[in-house]
Amino acid sequence: MGELRLMKGNEVIAEAAIRCGCDGYFGYPITPQSEVMETLMIRRPWDETGMVVLQAESEVASINMLYGGASTGKKVMTSSSSPGISLMAEGLSYLAGAELPCLVVNVQRAGPGLGTIQPSQADYFQAVKGCGHGDYKLIVLAPASVQEMNDFVDLGFELAFKYKNPAMILTDGVIGQMMEKVELADFKPRWTKEEIQANCGDWACTGKKDRKRHVSTSLELDSELMEQNNLRFQAKYKEIEENEVRYEMIDCEDADYIIVAFGSAARICQKSMQIAREQGIKVGMLRPITLFPFPTKTIEELAGKVKGFISVEMSAGQMVEDVKLAVNGKVPVEYFGRYGGVVPTPGEIVDAMKQKLIGG
Amino acid sequence: MLVMEDQLVYTPKDFKSSNEVRWCPGCGDHAIMAAIQKAMAGLGKKHEDYAVISGIGCSSRFPYYMSTYGFHTIHGRAAAIASGVKCANPELSVWQISGDGDALAIGGNHFIHTIRRNIDLNLILFNNKIYGLTKGQYSPTTDRGFVTKTSPFGTIEDPFIPGQLVLGSRGTFFARAIDNNVKLCQEVCEEAAKHEGTSVVEVLQNCVIFNEGVHAEISNPKTRADNQLHLVHGKPMLFGKENEKGIVWEHGHLKVVELGKDGYTIDDIMIHDAHEPSRAVHMALINMSLPEFPVAMGVIRAVKTDVYDEMMVKQIENVQAESKIKNMDDLLNSGDTWVVE
Repeated sequence: MGELRLMKGNEVIAEAAIRCGCDGYFGYPITPQSEVMETLMIRRPWDETGMVVLQAESEVASINMLYGGASTGKKVMTSSSSPGISLMAEGLSYLAGAELPCLVVNVQRAGPGLGTIQPSQADYFQAVKGCGHGDYKLIVLAPASVQEMNDFVDLGFELAFKYKNPAMILTDGVIGQMMEKVELADFKPRWTKEEIQANCGDWACTGKKDRKRHVSTSLELDSELMEQNNLRFQAKYKEIEENEVRYEMIDCEDADYIIVAFGSAARICQKSMQIAREQGIKVGMLRPITLFPFPTKTIEELAGKVKGFISVEMSAGQMVEDVKLAVNGKVPVEYFGRYGGVVPTPGEIVDAMKQKLIGG
Repeated sequence: MLVMEDQLVYTPKDFKSSNEVRWCPGCGDHAIMAAIQKAMAGLGKKHEDYAVISGIGCSSRFPYYMSTYGFHTIHGRAAAIASGVKCANPELSVWQISGDGDALAIGGNHFIHTIRRNIDLNLILFNNKIYGLTKGQYSPTTDRGFVTKTSPFGTIEDPFIPGQLVLGSRGTFFARAIDNNVKLCQEVCEEAAKHEGTSVVEVLQNCVIFNEGVHAEISNPKTRADNQLHLVHGKPMLFGKENEKGIVWEHGHLKVVELGKDGYTIDDIMIHDAHEPSRAVHMALINMSLPEFPVAMGVIRAVKTDVYDEMMVKQIENVQAESKIKNMDDLLNSGDTWVVE
């Protein structure tokens, strides 16, 4: 068993980054995630592993520092909260277009605009539908516990490098700020020059002695060639959809109704399920762990067995659109959420389920 | 508000809003706001002639507390938004309130370009050398080696000197004040408002929670006479409790001298010329720092030159005057026209 500790979600992101062999972190303070950079600074990973930690002058600078770092085949990451992620939209689009791997953590707060520093899940669309301009996708992981904050840092890098695409951990102020027991990963050394050569040798700045010249860019002015690039990206996203869907199913075997919820909302819904079952309502939960790729097929299959779905989100109803696409009209799909920084209570979720889905 | 001979006379109280002020007790922002309210009351304009624009940070709560138009906007973008306000409605007296993070880190780009364009607005830069709202990370004005939450072993970056950036951006007005001298703050804000073009006022501000005492050496009532040089246009650069010290220019550098010592007399002391277009002496004054020099306060530079928003209006008027197109019919009948038969 790995080292056990009681830690805040944001602190765990920092610790996990050091332990998974991350080469560089670039960030800018914003509530509710400033602890990520503060923890890294106090941990001095540059002494321990050689990892760089830099406070940039803005989120625009952070994401472009990632662009530079990623081009060299290094494991680079940033973290921010919603308004800061909006500033990174341009960089993320360029990184995806240049097929470069990196990890971005969004500890969401409520918007739009400056909104509030309280938790939210209203950046779902931003995360899974692109964020910046053009046809591209981010690989999006949604942790529901401090343990998963730990686990998804390494997983995020693994997927980002496997598919040469930016990966995002989409979490929120609840998971970022809460303390839980966590089993930390064992230390993995940072990649050596030889390992970078072996893993990223055909595209990273490792020298082109034995290969074609590679330019890290998203630009291709020839439309025919740009379409080819896009086709390659789309094929990659399809491959991701086929191979990387992750989700958790809780008590779905005998369920009449399914709650679909991710991240902190899923934690609250576990209590709602318990209350509903005590009242004799057979409720199960599907918790998407990857938001892109979305567990569409699983929901489609469940749609043939249950009476209805309810998507519970800390947003005005975003993921519910993807649930509806998956269910495709077979059974009713409802939505319940609180937003603007308000966290729903387990009881009001049960009430909403009864009122909207079950009737009476 | 008093009515005297059919004229409205404003008092600083008229510029206070009914919102509860939420800055920490003891924060330097309270005093700076009092100074700005006094300055505004004395400028003879009405509430609705002012627009106060802020970005994000503690100081950016400013518009809520003012009884004027005000926008609390986007982190770093206040200078761009203030520029938009001024160009769209040049009648307004536009004041930007930004902290060192807002104006110089994320907003550094807009800061220098606003100054370069010389848009007629007043940019009050609250410099406490720390990010206060996010609870204590280093900012672009934090001194090298300073310990903060994101530099637990001291920063390894050198800070911006805001006045240097202003002059480097072809700035026409730069003044410096400190939060515990309300009179000085008020005076420089009045001068800033009167100056046509971008006026930057750097106010050294104390953050009681995350950077207590950052300017103590300068602000301390016991030592401030020796540690501050109050510049007044046309007056000799004297300082010290008895004005016994002064600044001279020797061999291309500034030098501190004592009157009556080493043969220096009042005639040797430099006379401050804020209107001098050359930047050399102004830059030297901005660069003065403890312990070798006192810190320069007051209006360091105020040079009149063309103002963007005036030129913009004039250019539109000129083009309209020269154009043959005077109305919609002229426009429709201009260029390639033909009759469909």
